[in-house]
Amino acid sequence: MKLTRREVLKSAAAASAFMAMNGTLPDLAMAAPGEPDKWVKAVCRFCGTGCGVMIGVKAGKVVTVKGDPNNHNKGFLCLKGAELPSIVNATKSRVTRPYIRRNGQLEPASWDEAMTLVVSKFKDAIKKHGPTSVAYYGSGQALTEESYLANKIWKAGLRSNNVEGNPRLCMASAVGGYYSSFGKDEPIGCYDDIDAATCFFIIGANMSECHPILFKRVAARKQADPNVKIIVVDPRRTNTARIADEHVSFKPGTDLAILNAMAYVIIEEELDSPRFYNKYVNFMTNDKKKVDFKAYRKFLEDYTPEKAEKISGVPAEQIRKIAKMFGNASATMSMWTMGLNQRIRGVWANNLTTNLHLLTGQLGKPGATNFSLTGQPNACGGVRDTGSLCHLLPAGRMIKKPKDRAALEKQWGLKPGTIAPKPGLHTIALWNAFSEGKIKAMFVLCTNPAQSLPNVNMYTEGMRRKDNFMVLSEPFMDAETVKYCDVLLPPAFWCEKRGVYGCTERRYSLLMKAIEPIGECRPDVDILLDFATRMGVDPKVIPFKNVDDIWNEWREVSSATPYNFKGMTRARQEKESGILWPCPTEDHPGTCHRYVRGEDPNIPKDYKNKMWFYGTKDGKARLWLRPYAPAAEEPDAQYPMVLTTGRVIDHWHTGTMTMKSPVLRRSFPKAYVEVNIDDAKKHGIKNGDNVLLETRRDKMVFQAKVSDVCRPGLVFVPWFDQNLIINKLTLNAFDKGSKQPEYKICAVRIKKA
Amino acid sequence: MNPYKKNTLTVRWLKTAFFWGMMLACTSSLAVAGGIKHLTPTEDAYDCYACHKKATPIIAENWLDSKHGVVLVKCFVCHGQPDGQGSVPWAVSPDPKKVCVKCHDPAMKRMEFKFGLKPQCYTCHPFHQNSLHHKAYSKSQSKK
Repeated sequence: MKLTRREVLKSAAAASAFMAMNGTLPDLAMAAPGEPDKWVKAVCRFCGTGCGVMIGVKAGKVVTVKGDPNNHNKGFLCLKGAELPSIVNATKSRVTRPYIRRNGQLEPASWDEAMTLVVSKFKDAIKKHGPTSVAYYGSGQALTEESYLANKIWKAGLRSNNVEGNPRLCMASAVGGYYSSFGKDEPIGCYDDIDAATCFFIIGANMSECHPILFKRVAARKQADPNVKIIVVDPRRTNTARIADEHVSFKPGTDLAILNAMAYVIIEEELDSPRFYNKYVNFMTNDKKKVDFKAYRKFLEDYTPEKAEKISGVPAEQIRKIAKMFGNASATMSMWTMGLNQRIRGVWANNLTTNLHLLTGQLGKPGATNFSLTGQPNACGGVRDTGSLCHLLPAGRMIKKPKDRAALEKQWGLKPGTIAPKPGLHTIALWNAFSEGKIKAMFVLCTNPAQSLPNVNMYTEGMRRKDNFMVLSEPFMDAETVKYCDVLLPPAFWCEKRGVYGCTERRYSLLMKAIEPIGECRPDVDILLDFATRMGVDPKVIPFKNVDDIWNEWREVSSATPYNFKGMTRARQEKESGILWPCPTEDHPGTCHRYVRGEDPNIPKDYKNKMWFYGTKDGKARLWLRPYAPAAEEPDAQYPMVLTTGRVIDHWHTGTMTMKSPVLRRSFPKAYVEVNIDDAKKHGIKNGDNVLLETRRDKMVFQAKVSDVCRPGLVFVPWFDQNLIINKLTLNAFDKGSKQPEYKICAVRIKKA
Repeated sequence: MNPYKKNTLTVRWLKTAFFWGMMLACTSSLAVAGGIKHLTPTEDAYDCYACHKKATPIIAENWLDSKHGVVLVKCFVCHGQPDGQGSVPWAVSPDPKKVCVKCHDPAMKRMEFKFGLKPQCYTCHPFHQNSLHHKAYSKSQSKK
């Protein structure tokens, strides 16, 4: 028998593989989870990428997961997604029955006892202090139906607009950015654009660790065509920068100047598209005055690459280079996350990124789009779209607009004037008010504010007060907020319930129930319906019997707006793996590109222009003249360095879920501080040394990881670790427009501990 | 005659021969724990790469440069944990039906349809020689 070289290689590899496997056979037999009885379709519980997963269930237990081949992730999962079974099966850590705090201790209680106490506290607060003394604080991880229901109970039933949620901490600036640029929220492109783009402009996002499956798609695009350009703008040289053609490291907070300088170069190099902006764009000053292109050009004279170099520390040549890459590409896709959003100028940073697209006409064609990435699996669909924030109403309507209130009141069958005309308190104001005892009763659902709020010591102090009341629906007993709540309710977790998640690209996917809730756990929808009934909310306002009723009403409500997804019936959702709105009819395939004739069903097929930004009065997008402005707390002589926080790939948010997986916990057991080599030398710090970090708010010791990831003058700490809560050190200054806090920048000093 | 079948038989024969040969050779060092010989990591030292960078530098670097390395599919995702606490069985050669299938189910089905069921993915895709465990970018360009 003659063997080819390839056959020999294959044989050798197989043989070596078998050689190594010899000891594993008994282990395999022991650990074999068995073939599942059934596969149930769902969406991953973690980031905003919203990957489809198939849950393998055997004898009522989750035994494995695999990627959903029909969803956008095409069957792929990241390492956290692959670990979902170990988190679902961590039942020992779960809250399995209600608890009431008595004499400082959480004591087991019955559902009836717990709900009776909750309702008496809420009723008492409303009676004595009015509806604005009660609040709901939700989550971008709650199901769409849960957020929609809570929003309706509070705004229509209790007449309190104090409805907020953690998306204020992560996405509010992107909402502000899209709203101010296009008149409507939500990205206008989709994930398919990744496969068509020829240039990626990734700014303020570590996609590799925070959106691994999208990063995989970008990397695959680059691999398929090495001519594809990737620009990564980040003060840290992260794993994302590994595939970059240009990594731009800058002084934190100065990206506003860089973005303006890029616009300057684009015009200077004649890479702008007058055909596009003359037809579709209004140039607007900061004080909302319309100006012309000349005025914009004059404004940009303050941001020549040389001037921007002085502000940002980025060589003028590099700014020129990346601007040319952006402008020369046939299709540029920009992507960003918290690096732009979690800033006191978050909305401005969003606007300035969008400006580059409006200036070059890199919009509305495959691969050319400005694409904000979301942090949570249902921040877009669940909270932004259902309007579960203090200033919003469902489907992009605003509380402050009488027309919007009236339209919704009509749809909801409410008496005119039911919805209070004044927006409620935004997240930071809400927690300030709770800490001052002005908010008397708060319902917290599916989030962990005692770890996730910025400058969190202030708020945990407030949570300890005796004259305010917090009821928490939290699946895990060891979550930080459990220490402070007055009543703890046990919710069904992830695949123990049914409902919709809506990810970054406007894709709504149904999560089907795979297993029964453990112990006395109940889906949050049931908890909220019980709460509404006991509160005496008019049954006509909350006529729902189950989660599907809520979805059907929400579909109807959306149909009168450009969000229209009436065509996403439950039957269709059960069959398909996610559909992108707008989707007005059952036979509509969903929409990849909004504002584009022929694609967006809101635009008549015979409309005169190719694009129509129907969110604004005159149908034009807005290019904003936003100046550079410094961060809220710049480094100074006392605190000479910058502290920034973020995620690592192994953990998600406050770690309540990922720390339950033995492998993820071991892979990244505790938070560390990342220090640049030069700074480490200066302070005599070696890898593994203890380092004291001190800001104006608190101080804490971390183990040092010395590398060239952070630029000199910058330190990074991941925020997942409950034992080292970095948010005790962060700043709660917030963007005046979006009310989103500046987690990404605060002044710090370090020394060897 | 289907040439592919012939190859498969060859590979199977070779595999069996190597397997029993190596079983014989390695029994003394591996029999102790009845599993793969591996140092016992402490609770906070499970960063496989940090140790394997020194212990098996070529394998570690191959992974880092590979497709799996670029997108941070870390060791434990496919190989499990030495004490069996991973969500996949601890194995040097992952079981495709329990491990690879989690992400590559569509490709595996496609391959099965085209070539028939194979006991291991790496019969045809020796991943320590392809871009899953090698230089992802230079590999893909060399294909051109």
